[in-house]
Amino acid sequence: MNGGKAQFEFRPETARLMGKNAWNAFLGILVVVLIWWSVAEAMMFLRGVPFPTPPETFHAFWQALMGADVHGEGIFAHTNASLQRWGQGYLIALVLGLTLGLAFGTMPRLHEVGMVSVYVFQMIPGLAWIPIAMLIFGLGETATVFIIVMTAIPPLVINTAGGIREVPEVYTRVARMSGKDDSALFMNVLLPAASLSIINGMRIGLANGWRVLIAAEMVVGVALGLGFSIYQSRYSLDFTASFVSIMVICMIGLTIEKLLFVSMENRVRNRLGLDRED
Amino acid sequence: MILASMRNVSKVFTDTRNGRGLVALNGIDLDIKEGEFLCLVGSSGCGKSTTLNLLAGFESPTRGDVSFKGGKVNGPSPERGVVFQEPSLYPWMSVLQNVMFSVQGDEGKERVAMEYLRMVGLDGFAASRPSDLSGGMKQRVAIARALAMGPDLLLMDEPFGSLDEQTRRKLDNEVLRLWKDGGKTVVFVTHNIEEALMLGTRIVLMSASPGRIEKEWTLEPGWPRDLSSPSMVMLKGEIIGMLQACACANGAAPARLVTIGE
Repeated sequence: MNGGKAQFEFRPETARLMGKNAWNAFLGILVVVLIWWSVAEAMMFLRGVPFPTPPETFHAFWQALMGADVHGEGIFAHTNASLQRWGQGYLIALVLGLTLGLAFGTMPRLHEVGMVSVYVFQMIPGLAWIPIAMLIFGLGETATVFIIVMTAIPPLVINTAGGIREVPEVYTRVARMSGKDDSALFMNVLLPAASLSIINGMRIGLANGWRVLIAAEMVVGVALGLGFSIYQSRYSLDFTASFVSIMVICMIGLTIEKLLFVSMENRVRNRLGLDRED
Repeated sequence: MILASMRNVSKVFTDTRNGRGLVALNGIDLDIKEGEFLCLVGSSGCGKSTTLNLLAGFESPTRGDVSFKGGKVNGPSPERGVVFQEPSLYPWMSVLQNVMFSVQGDEGKERVAMEYLRMVGLDGFAASRPSDLSGGMKQRVAIARALAMGPDLLLMDEPFGSLDEQTRRKLDNEVLRLWKDGGKTVVFVTHNIEEALMLGTRIVLMSASPGRIEKEWTLEPGWPRDLSSPSMVMLKGEIIGMLQACACANGAAPARLVTIGE
């Protein structure tokens, strides 16, 4: 045990580990692509449908990057529109979800009364929000953002409240015995102790909101968006274009997950001392 | 002088689902004298921890009074420091920050905290995280933290129960030293009779079904204690004998179940 140093040291093994992780990720994606390709060929053979293959899709993707239109608009325009809607929705969900989650977590009576509704909301699939959104907001951007908000909130509330409630009682007792009042207990003990759970909730909520884009953009009323593009193939029969949009959605999702959350989670784990080796 | 006392204290834990109650303590009378080292012994389920929690203020009695320095105990306070059985250091804070957390007052927290870390021999680990420490070291930090509050009463709930024999003996001696140097009053809960005999100025034996005080013994000061002396051997035999005789040792239910309203 080193006496006193609590630093994380960058050792040669770490570089090797990072290389290994990248290789594993590459292999994982390769497996998915190969499965995709086999299914594509099989479907074209068995059912005679124009199932886009990986090479076709990558080629179309490349062309889209070069400026070719995907379902009537450039790929960047679609992506930008989707990111904006999702960004707005997630931000609102974050504020509402964290606030409610913290309230439910710290007030047991509120938790008893409120959590049932949260669980009910969580059960509603993304598509089911469409008629509700249309009735309240009609067609348009607000309806789309609404759907994203409603699917992203439940995991935020559930994980935040759960994280707070699962803080070991002894932690609270130590704080009380030391004379800490409610706000000191909350800021210095409950929040840090619950931070892993809260981040997990943020991560799930983000993924939920992103995955519901297809359903959400069905009511957006403009011909712009990655989700819109995917759904359009139903009418345009341009499946390759849809697959390009699916690819972009997956790539963005993966990037955000890796960049944002993995680094956030690692930082929290480090602070909590969960990454120590003996 | 009496520092804390429990008068006719009963504690019933209610199961809210079926209305049945667990009588953890039934009519306890206990005085804590200033400056003593009181060991509470008894098998599991006899109410030792409940007694400690009542003295600390984490629980309130169903009946009876718990008082401290003449006033009623209304909740936890820095005047009554507790060392818990389970790990209680905050993993996101350093060792020093953990101790500083409990230091009272607005100024000089770091200095006070370092002083107490020095007392338990861990000032070299001030910047370490709890996860870097062994079980014994963590409990030493917990002791430093409890003492850093400047309490009049130190309550220790089987603090070394999960440690190996050697570490436990070492820490026992450390607690003894801190008690002698600091002039504090200590209530030490343990199910280890030898540990109680090595440490206490007074031993109180509790038994269950329902939780009550069976007997108490006052010991002559003079450490280290010689457990092989005839008087010690006899005392140990008497305590163990009574322990085995009580219902809880025979595997009976830890406490009498009553239906509320009886």
